[in-house]
Amino acid sequence: MKQKTPKKPKCNGCVLLAVTLLLYGAAALFAPEKTLLAAEESFGILVKILPILLVVFFLTALLNTFLKPKSIAKHLGKGSRLRGWFIALFGGILSHGPGYVWYPMLADLRAQGARDGLIVAFFYARAIKLPWLPVMISYFGIGFTLVLSFYILLGAWLQGIIADKILAKHEE
Amino acid sequence: MKEHSRAEEAFGKALRSLAAMTPMLLAVISLVGLFQAFVSPEMLRALFSGSPLVDTLIGTVIGGISIGQPVISYIIGGELLGQGISLYAVTAFILAWVTLGIIQLPLEASLFGRRFTIVRNLLSFVFAMLIGVATALTLQGLS
Repeated sequence: MKQKTPKKPKCNGCVLLAVTLLLYGAAALFAPEKTLLAAEESFGILVKILPILLVVFFLTALLNTFLKPKSIAKHLGKGSRLRGWFIALFGGILSHGPGYVWYPMLADLRAQGARDGLIVAFFYARAIKLPWLPVMISYFGIGFTLVLSFYILLGAWLQGIIADKILAKHEE
Repeated sequence: MKEHSRAEEAFGKALRSLAAMTPMLLAVISLVGLFQAFVSPEMLRALFSGSPLVDTLIGTVIGGISIGQPVISYIIGGELLGQGISLYAVTAFILAWVTLGIIQLPLEASLFGRRFTIVRNLLSFVFAMLIGVATALTLQGLS
């Protein structure tokens, strides 16, 4: 009988982090001032996203506590229709901060039965950035902002439908 | 009591998943910093060709590899328009800036799987161009 070898703990990002640190080292040799600026920029981003990361962490834990896979399947799973699209599109518009901060929560929802198409639609609807809309209006005008926002929502929905078709076909 | 242990388990799981993605998250944030310090808006502007259709493709590619606050893409987009770059290209550039992310690809693939990541990003790429053209044409039709 074959004995199972214990799985090594995975560290998906360790290689990328090591490569990034090497890049910083190389950059520091040629342009130390710019590299310092890059490190400061990165630290600034980290400080800025920490509160959002904390919110996402609590949201993930709360969803896991109170939402059972059955109810996730009902609201965001295969059977969800208009309600699922509504949650994905408006959730995307309302979500704040960089997209990668939302990855763990969305991956968790997906693992519990949320449809791929809804996750794709959520990501695309995030292109409507509520806090930055006044800036967009000042640069491009209200007509551009309204038309673009409409097409973003339409595009998010269409991409969700296409993604559902492509990814579901692969699962079969 | 049952709810309490469920909550404990849920918080533990959320903490473990956050800890697992921390190295990747730090790598992505560090790369964003490098990009912002070493790639200037002038360097991005110099990449456009002058042809509306080719520029739409270029705008999507540049937006896709660029990263930072969306407001920066609006500022660069506004300047590009002022320099005669087409609205198709500028819209595609702004959209790709927020919906595509080459730097985040490894993180996205590690959490959602390679297939999902490729499909989502390819769709975002194509739709950035389609929406860029549709927005410009609609505004032309309305004016």
